[in-house]
Order: sequence, then C-alpha cells, then structure tokens
Amino acid sequence: MPHSEKPFKLSVPDADIDYLRKKLEFTRFPDHPDGMDWQYGVPIENVRRLVARWKDGFDWRAAEARINQFPQFTRDIEVEGFGTLNIHYVHKKSEAKGAIPLLFVHGWPGHFMEVSKILPLLTSNAGHHAKFHVVALSLPGFGFSEAPKKKGFKIRQFAEVGHKLMLALGYNKYVVQGGDWGFTISRNIAYYYGPEYVKAWHTNMPYTGPPTFAADPLLYLQYLVTPLSPQDVQGLKRNEHWYAEGRGFTWIQQTRPQTIGSLLADSPTGLLAWIYEKLIVWVDHYHWTDDEVLEWVSIYWYSRAGPAASVRIYYEYYHDFEASQPPWSPVPFGASHFPKDVFYSPSLWVRALGNVVYEVRHDVGGHFAAHEQPEILVDDIRALCELEVVSKEFDY
Amino acid sequence: MPHSEKPFKLSVTDAEIDDLRKKLDLTRFPDHPDGMDWQYGVPIENVRRLVARWKDGFDWRAAEARINQLPQFTRDIEVEGFGTLNIHYVHKKSDAKGAIPLLFVHGWPGHFMEVSKILPLLTSDTGDHPRFHVVALSLPGFGFSEAPKKGGFRFRQFAEVGHKLMLALGYDKYVTQGGDWGYFITRSIASYYGPKNVKAWHTNMPYTGPPTFAANPLLYLQYLVTPLSAEDVKGLQRNDYWDAERKGYMWAQQTKPQTIGSLLADSPAGLLTWIYEKLIESVDDYHWTDDEVLAWISIYWFSRAGPAASVRIYYESYHHPEDSRPPWSSTPFGASHFPKDVFYTPDLWVRAIGNLVYEVRHEFGGHFAAYEKPEALVKDIRALCKLDVVVKEFTK
Repeated sequence: MPHSEKPFKLSVPDADIDYLRKKLEFTRFPDHPDGMDWQYGVPIENVRRLVARWKDGFDWRAAEARINQFPQFTRDIEVEGFGTLNIHYVHKKSEAKGAIPLLFVHGWPGHFMEVSKILPLLTSNAGHHAKFHVVALSLPGFGFSEAPKKKGFKIRQFAEVGHKLMLALGYNKYVVQGGDWGFTISRNIAYYYGPEYVKAWHTNMPYTGPPTFAADPLLYLQYLVTPLSPQDVQGLKRNEHWYAEGRGFTWIQQTRPQTIGSLLADSPTGLLAWIYEKLIVWVDHYHWTDDEVLEWVSIYWYSRAGPAASVRIYYEYYHDFEASQPPWSPVPFGASHFPKDVFYSPSLWVRALGNVVYEVRHDVGGHFAAHEQPEILVDDIRALCELEVVSKEFDY
Repeated sequence: MPHSEKPFKLSVTDAEIDDLRKKLDLTRFPDHPDGMDWQYGVPIENVRRLVARWKDGFDWRAAEARINQLPQFTRDIEVEGFGTLNIHYVHKKSDAKGAIPLLFVHGWPGHFMEVSKILPLLTSDTGDHPRFHVVALSLPGFGFSEAPKKGGFRFRQFAEVGHKLMLALGYDKYVTQGGDWGYFITRSIASYYGPKNVKAWHTNMPYTGPPTFAANPLLYLQYLVTPLSAEDVKGLQRNDYWDAERKGYMWAQQTKPQTIGSLLADSPAGLLTWIYEKLIESVDDYHWTDDEVLAWISIYWFSRAGPAASVRIYYESYHHPEDSRPPWSSTPFGASHFPKDVFYTPDLWVRAIGNLVYEVRHEFGGHFAAYEKPEALVKDIRALCKLDVVVKEFTK
C-alpha cells in the first residue's frame, strides 16, 4: 500500500521572514513602571533586547540549517472522525542491532526540537546500553504538522496520531517518552495501545492528584495512612504557589483559546513574551542564549497552523477532563522527577498513574528536561528500557 | 494656591493614527477550524469584520469630536507615596441650584465615556428630581490619565485620587457611582472619606461573598439560618459557571500583567478581540454597532499609558484581597442589581457591604449599566439621593 511519507526540509519563505521583520519594526511595547520584577510578568528590558535581536542579528536561516540537520519527514495519518492530518516528524534510526523504537512527545510551549540533544545520545551505537530509533513528531496544531480542521480533537486523538505514526514506520513494538502534554499523551498511548504495541512509557513530569478510592482502593487506603514526608510537604506547597500564581496562561488557554489566539497569532513580540516567561521560570539554572530563545519562539511564529492552534489542546482537555485520565495500565512505566518542574507529585501518588517499574528523583533540572539535562534523561530512559521486563520485548 | 487644571481636548496625533493603520494592515489572524463558536472565544468572522472597518471606514476623528462634546480637563493630583499623577476627567456642572456633586468611577474594560449617556440626564435641569454636577475621571493607567510610575498602586490609592479630585474641584460633599472596579473603588472612597465628605455611594455591581462571623456576626447568623431562594441558587450557579469558563482573562491579568500587557500593547486586532469578547458577553441584548465598538476600543488603543497599564489593577487587587473588604462605613449605600451582570449577589449578602438604604433588582440590563440602561440607572441614582438621609446632607 503506498504511503505518503515525504522528506521534509524546513524552509520558511522569504516573504514570511520579511513580514516578521516588518511587524517587529512596528512593535509597540507596554509601559514599564519602576520595580516591576518577574512577579508581574516578563520585565520589559528582556522583551526589548530580544525583539531588537530578532529584528536584526538573529539569523533564522542558520537556525533553520541546524534544525535541518535532523532527518525530517511528513506523512498523512488518518484520525477517526477527523479525516487525514499531515504530520511532521523527525525520524533517526540507530545503526545498532535490536535498537528500540522510541516515540518522543513534546508539550506546550515545547516542540519537536526538544528532542535535539537526547537524539544523538539515544541513537548512538557506542557503549553498552540500550540503543534507540527515535521518532519525534510535531503534535497536530504544533510545529509543522497540520492542525485538526474541527473542534473536539482530544488527548485520545493525539494518542492515535502517535501510535499510527509508529505503526506506519514499521514499529510494531515501541516505547514512548514525554513531559508536559507529552506526559498525558504518552499515558494514553500506553493505555490504549499497550502492552500489545507499547512496551514501556517514561515521563519526566509525572503529574497526578492523590489516589482516589474509585480508581485504586488499596492505594487510596495507603494514601490515607501514610504521612507526607517533609519533601512532600514542601513540594505540595510549591504546587499551591503554582496554582495561585503560575497558571494564568492555562486558564485563558483552556477557556478562550480563540481569544488569546488572536493575540498570539498577531503579535510576535507578545508571543515572545508569552513563551519566554515559561522558558525562564520553568527551568533550573539553565542559561538560554538569546538566539536559542529566538530559534525556539520562531518555531511557534512560523508554525504551519500558527500559534493559536497550539493552545486548543488546553480547551479540549479542560472540557473533558475525565476522558483524558485512562485507567491504570500494566505497561511498564518509568517516572523521573525533576525538582524545578512546575508540579510536585509524591511517589505514592505516582503509583496510581501506571505500573511503576522505575522511578528516580533528581537534584537538578526543571520542566524542559530533555533540553536542560539531556544526559540525565537519557540515563533514565536507558535504565528503564534495560530492565528485563522491557528489554525482553526487544532483541536487545 | 495655584491649581494645575487645564482644559483637555482629545486629539490623537496623525502619526498614532497612521501607526494603528499600518499595524492593522499587517494583521495576522488565527486559523479557524470548523465549529468554533463563542465557547472557544471570539469567532474569527467578527474579528475580521471589525479589523477591516477599523482600517478603512471607521472615522476616528468623528469619534473624537463626539468625545470632545463632553467638557474635559486634566489636573495634577498628589498621591501619598506615588508623587503626582496627571488625571484626566470629564466635568459638567448642572445649572440647577443645590445640585449634588457626583463622581462616576469606571472599571475594566470600561472608561470615562461610560458616563456619556447618563451625564445629560443627571445634569439636566428639568423635572422634579435631584440634579447633579458630574465628574467622571479616567482612573490612573486608563484613558487619558497618567499611569502610576511604580507597582503597589491599590484601591486605597485609586480612592485617594477620586476623593482629592472632588476636593480640588471645590466639592467637599459629594456622592459616588461605580460598577466593576468602580464598585471596589467607590466602596473604598465611602469607607475612608465618608460620611464626612461622601454622603452616599451607589453601585450597579454589588459584589461580595457571604457574610463572615468576623466582619458581621449578626448577619452571619442570619445567613446560616436563611435558605437560599430559587433565584439565589440559579444566580450562584451562574457565578460558578463564570468562574469556570469566563475568568481566564482575569487569571492572566492578575498574575502576570506585564506578560499579557506585551500582547495587548502590540496587537490592535488582539486588543480588539480581548475587549470585544467582554462587550458582547457581559451585556443584556445590547446591540453594539461596529463603530461603537471601535470607538470604545480605540480609547484603549490610544490611551495615554497604553493598554498594558490598565490591567495592573487586577494584580494589585488579587495580591491584596484585604483591600476588597475596607472597614464597614455608615455612609448611605444604594445597590442596583442587573440580571445579566457577571456576578450575582443574594440580598442578604449585600447588607454586609455597607449601610444599605436603597436596593433594587432590575429585569433587564447587564454589566455596562450606565451604557445599556442609562434611564434605569439614573432613576436609581436619583431615588437614592432623594432619600432624606442623603438630602439632608446637601441642604445643611
């Protein structure tokens, strides 16, 4: 049966680059009273500096060339009830025998290039550890994949796209890794397509509330009688602060995506501020260069469907929360906790998410683990996949 | 002592109008999948239509001329801890003897022109009812007033500005009217400056939580034993829905005002969408013309400090919740409930706000009462100020 895979080289038209530059030239900045620190949002000097660089100095073509060092493709994927979506992805095979196919799923405001530092390590043929074929897609509505053409595209559909892509690439057995929305989507992929196809799943953002009696009576009882550790107490306090101060973007995106979308589509400066805030606040001592930030935000600005499409996942998730919480799955599950990520989850609670066979709490690292701490994340992925319960499924 | 009052005629520069038109020409709209109704935010056809009109057809100079039919001024007001702020206001005296000075306080996304329909009725010298001298200020950071030059500008400071303005105009006895932030600010004005200077205050948005034992023990006990009416139940359900679905903009503005501010300052199409959503959703069957909408939003776009300044009041209010409960005041208080306003408050709870001497529940009208139902609101203001407890203060 003919497939629709085509090689993909990112090549933003000159007209689009000119258009961005024109818009940047006409930027109108907000006023900036004294003393407005990060508490109030992105301090203006950052926005000014980045906009000046984006207009003049930042070399998009050079960034594009770096992106194009990764082998990319597009292919049509049929999604039940949503027709065909053209999906963009990175795909790099390892030369090693018995390499494990791995699907990497990004989140918001992430994108497929979050895989760029872990990919060489995962696919490398050196050393005595698990090797991987790596697939990193642009989720529908993100990066260079098409956006769904109608409303109601939920986590289940995102999972379907990821799974069908792996099957289309000839991978009947694979593992999944993700954080942020990648966590929720990987969890759904594991539930709906494992253990038959999905042999393990890993997340760097295990996010859950406390166990419930309905979902897991034994775990719930354990939860009732187990005191919180001092680390738990501290972590849950951080979560409270997050709920009170850090979730404004979530609230507007999950209730009025087309309204915030109008702003994000039209203002590159505003889009930059909106995303940059997360890049700075959610990491652990990661020192972004300005060009690194601009390359990251440019992917959103130049994305196939535009930035507004990327926030709809929040709306669909919020309006059918139950549908995105699949039951417990026996698929082997690995969880890595990074201390500066946005949520803290006690270990006991994580057991409600899946069949925890590997868990580790790190001393360093934040939300964008694959980008901030690639070696650490790769160690964890390898450790999970080297466990007998996973490795026996592959020739490794 | 010399005063700093200067007559003010709104006259946006040609350069600013050109800049707006250039930006509108460069508008990039969000993508728009099928079936995205108002649930998802402002449907795109509205934004396209309004942007096209704003660019070509909408006559700002004509709108300006209409605004300038109201006598306007600016004056420096000293604010403790914040230096001097240059404040813009409408000021129209009634010809009648013994007219009552009234300060009208707008909210967000409102502005001083919300007074435009009620002003002629309030100052009119015909009929057998109280007459008023009307003062309608642009709050600091809104319209054509300066914005505070540092953070921490709270209700106490907004109240100080309103009060000092009235004193500066020679009104040492006055009444106030406000909704939205105008409610909170006039409540503070009554608390700090009444009943000495403020002789009555009226709101079209009496908003409060249930009585607390600490603040009002008797009312609290009454609250415990009084069942909610059917109307109360329905109204509180509407409040819950608003919290769940309509509060996103508030979350963004109250947690990261400078980040959302970067978007609002830079994208006229986005600012239009952000505010238009409120103009449509918060009214009761009010049929805005496109030019009416554009005149309204242009005031935000052309505002002295820019649109970002206007959202900081949310940050300061959210981070100082105690400001919303100033000390109880004996100043006579009138409350008008409009059924389609964003918050519903049961009668019993309203009694905790202040010395309620007048209350009415209307069958029609929404959030922008002065604009949607000017005759009804003026009737209520007159009825409050006709009560003996108010009249006697102005005939002394």
